[in-house]
Amino acid sequence: MSLSDRSHAIELILAFADDKHLMGQQHAEWIGVTPFLEEDLAFCSIGQDELGHAALLYELLVDEDDEAAIDGAIDALAFGRSADEYRSCHFVELSTDDWAEAFVRHWMFDLADRLRWEAVASSTNEALRDIAARVEREELFHRMHADGMLDVLLESDEGRCRLRAATEKMAPLALAMFEPVEGETQAVADGVIDRPFAERRDEFVAAVEARVGPIDWGEPPSQDGRRVRSADWAPLMARMREVFELDLEARW
Amino acid sequence: MHTYEIFLKKDGRDEYRHAGAVDAANDDLALVMARESYIRRAEGDRLWLVRRDHVIVGDRDFVSPNADKPHRHHDGSAVAARRKASREESTS
Repeated sequence: MSLSDRSHAIELILAFADDKHLMGQQHAEWIGVTPFLEEDLAFCSIGQDELGHAALLYELLVDEDDEAAIDGAIDALAFGRSADEYRSCHFVELSTDDWAEAFVRHWMFDLADRLRWEAVASSTNEALRDIAARVEREELFHRMHADGMLDVLLESDEGRCRLRAATEKMAPLALAMFEPVEGETQAVADGVIDRPFAERRDEFVAAVEARVGPIDWGEPPSQDGRRVRSADWAPLMARMREVFELDLEARW
Repeated sequence: MHTYEIFLKKDGRDEYRHAGAVDAANDDLALVMARESYIRRAEGDRLWLVRRDHVIVGDRDFVSPNADKPHRHHDGSAVAARRKASREESTS
């Protein structure tokens, strides 16, 4: 599978894949430390799904034929680029050891994710369209988990308070998910996506506020079309590459 | 939080079997947690959840007295043993 005939969609796919990849890693880092065992399994499983989705998206950008070469090229994309070549947003780069923040990020990310997949559900790119249909079964479960937990947590004053505080802290970064990337206008014209992601921002804001009430969204950070990494990116990437770097020639 | 007992069924011919338990805040989350805790590797394709406090439990004093009624065991082993003993007696 290749996107080479739709080269202006490359930045867009890369942004999508990098967000999924880093989000998956962030969720996975909660293994063993979420508030209870069942949540531990559920949260890390969601993270694992995100990593799987990232791999499917990276594969779209790979121009190889045999399986080993495809795997190698996906790894190179996932782990081998320099900082300025990544297109992740600062929302997924942020490191947090606060469970409320981690949970809220999962909820907000999957809300936005739904809008993103919708944008490619009727894409002119067949491979992308197939992936969208395939991941929806998993995304449905992510939203069930987030909404179910929210329902319960919003019942108590303490839960509501902590969720609102965490949502407000995440809000400016969440808005930056919608920042346009290079080639997006052309990708819309080609029918790779049905409209610019930024056009869904108000819908996202309304969906968040429908649960936690009106919040102060603050100012999104400057990401320069997602070319600039935040301070948390390098340590995150170092953690991700820790085992990979033990032996760069190893076959896994 | 409530504790839910999990029952799974893999194949149409199999019966539901107890797989374990999860703690969850409500029925919907129990389904989500059960899915992640017990069916991650497709261990079943059908799922029952029962809240543990909805299970009707027979008290041990109520259940155990029947342990002393060997005459209700009808696998024939006692009869077979007697017949074997009597055969051995007649041939000796």
